[in-house]
Amino acid sequence: MQSESLPPSRTETNAPAAISKPLPMAAGRLLSGDTLLKGASTTAAVGILVMLVALVIVLSISAWPAVHKFGLHFLSSTDWRPNELEVPVRDAAGHLQLDSDGETVTTTIAPSFGALAVIWGTVISSLIALVIAIPVSFGAALVLVRMSWRKLSAPLSFLIEFLAAIPSLAYGLWGLFVLAPFLQNVVEPFIAKLIGGGTWVVDLSIHRLVDLSIHQSWLDFTLAKFTLDFTVGKFSFDTPQIPGLGFMLHETLSVNGNTIVREIPKTGRDMLCGGLVLAIMILPIITAISRDVLRAIPRAQIEGTQALGANWWQSSFEMLRYGKAALFGAVMLGLARATGETMAITMVIGNNNQISGSLFSPSQTMSSLLANEFAEANTDMHRAALTEVALVLLIMSLLFNIVARKLVVGRNK
Amino acid sequence: MSSILKQPLTAYQKWLRAKSWAMRSLCMAFTAGIVGVLLLITGYLTSIGAKSLSWDFFTRLPIPIGMDHAPGGMANAVVGTIILVALASVIGVPMGLLTGIYLSEYSAFSKLAAPVRFIADVLAGVPSIVVGILGYELLVAPWSYWNGHLNLFGHDWRLLPNGNYNGYAGAFGLAFIMVPIVSRTTEEMLRLVPQSYREASIALGATKARTILSVVVPSATGSLVTGVMLAIARVAGETAPLLFTALGTRLMNMDPARPFPSLTAQIFEYASGPVKEQRELAWAGILVLIALIFILNLAVRLATRSKHAAGH
Repeated sequence: MQSESLPPSRTETNAPAAISKPLPMAAGRLLSGDTLLKGASTTAAVGILVMLVALVIVLSISAWPAVHKFGLHFLSSTDWRPNELEVPVRDAAGHLQLDSDGETVTTTIAPSFGALAVIWGTVISSLIALVIAIPVSFGAALVLVRMSWRKLSAPLSFLIEFLAAIPSLAYGLWGLFVLAPFLQNVVEPFIAKLIGGGTWVVDLSIHRLVDLSIHQSWLDFTLAKFTLDFTVGKFSFDTPQIPGLGFMLHETLSVNGNTIVREIPKTGRDMLCGGLVLAIMILPIITAISRDVLRAIPRAQIEGTQALGANWWQSSFEMLRYGKAALFGAVMLGLARATGETMAITMVIGNNNQISGSLFSPSQTMSSLLANEFAEANTDMHRAALTEVALVLLIMSLLFNIVARKLVVGRNK
Repeated sequence: MSSILKQPLTAYQKWLRAKSWAMRSLCMAFTAGIVGVLLLITGYLTSIGAKSLSWDFFTRLPIPIGMDHAPGGMANAVVGTIILVALASVIGVPMGLLTGIYLSEYSAFSKLAAPVRFIADVLAGVPSIVVGILGYELLVAPWSYWNGHLNLFGHDWRLLPNGNYNGYAGAFGLAFIMVPIVSRTTEEMLRLVPQSYREASIALGATKARTILSVVVPSATGSLVTGVMLAIARVAGETAPLLFTALGTRLMNMDPARPFPSLTAQIFEYASGPVKEQRELAWAGILVLIALIFILNLAVRLATRSKHAAGH
């Protein structure tokens, strides 16, 4: 900037304002509007970089005590015990030990933190969500792109964008009060019967009380009242237990040193519900992005396949194949949202910090652990461990986002 | 030629045709499924929420169960959300707009632009709960530390009276989420302004700053406002960044230096609780939020459509 070194000029400011008002460029002020705006906008742009750096650095510093203490063990341990635990000492036979006063001898177990259970919860719930969301959203995107009826396509697109804008709290509320009871009462008993075997009764019959009568103060009259009992057909059949899927229905617990196997109680607030709600939440995102990706495919590409005689599905398949890198990016963005999703999953996943192969057992994800415990953490180590979980979550989502942006943006340019 | 067309289909061709038909029907069913789920969810939320929505919701404070007018309303939370979003916008909107201006207008020979654009995209995908923890570490934890130690000249120099969860931290978290959204939409909207506008302005002797502020930005004002509105709609529905920062309170509180109420935190608290009346209030709250977001989305949609219609 050469104008910065010049002294302020008098003659220019004394000139008649309206006619020969000096151009700001030549004003020779130390801080011209140009410099100001450029400086401010550059500062803001640098601020974005600072935001990300601050996020990583602050979380790393706060998580350092936990990183230092637990090391890599943090990622491989399933022990999440924020408070000290006093347990009775047992001898080899499993009997309690008594001291000279007749009190039970106890020992204190120090708090311990391991994130494997919540990482497992996050991974599995996101996988369930992806398995459901990928085919559905790709199918919907194909329909939206290839539909010739524009009048329907525009409102459909709006609906899907609106679905993406609904706050996750709303999905959580719906999942908690509508989906979870439905799963508990209808879906899960059905699946349990399917897996565990049982007797299925098909009852095609009508039992109905027919009451043709009026009961009023001025008229009490019964024309007819009878029961229609009419059995069309009633039969039952048994299905066998499917071997190898018992882990879905039963869990092994250790109570007072005894190992017991019990049926998993079906609460509806479990991994299945969490995965389903996540799937519903990432559907609109994947649909919207893959719709844009498919729309950007050169028209000649589609017309070429059709000229060769491809039918609807064959040319659609070619479209999916043509845009597969960017579609993968869309899936990654959905995955990033699924892993970071907090409120809805906290409300429906049951919040039990455990690793279980069953879809019916309550679980915990990284984000729901944070939402549940962070505000109430009262020791520094607990807070540091939670911050380390947040750091792992941040790194995962950054990874997914970076891969996704590279793929989607690289495709469009 | 007609003889070729009249040939009967082979079994393989029939299979291909059937497969295409089946896949097409499946895809249509998927689309119908998405729309069905949307209608199911919004319909349910609307019907349940409308039952418990009344003027009390906007005019009364939460009232403990067992007292008269028992669950009360969420007046404090409505006011709290408005103040929080306003505070967040004061920081987030200018920063987002300036970054957008940088990316669109000053990025020509800049090595900074590509990483900034990329990181803005990545930041938009950071889980909001992580942002909440950043807010806690930066604006909640230090205060409680200083409140114990900053005792100079016999005076307790408290930076915040309660020295703990506060509204500023919540607003910071929301602003953090706002900046990348606003900056990216701003960039896209400014890029839509024809290059000839800028050239004409420069040719008339205006400086670059004057060109941007008087020509480029005004001609995109409508779409910039819609971008900001969308960002506001997004953060108004955020809960996770507020849980460890603003925390929430059942009192009417206008002082951001104390724990601060918000609609979303209150809905979350009520919905996870056991009290039926409070759950109903949570449904009403969700309805209010969704109505707000629907109106903003629809406005944006209509605004952009009329823009396109005028342009072509």
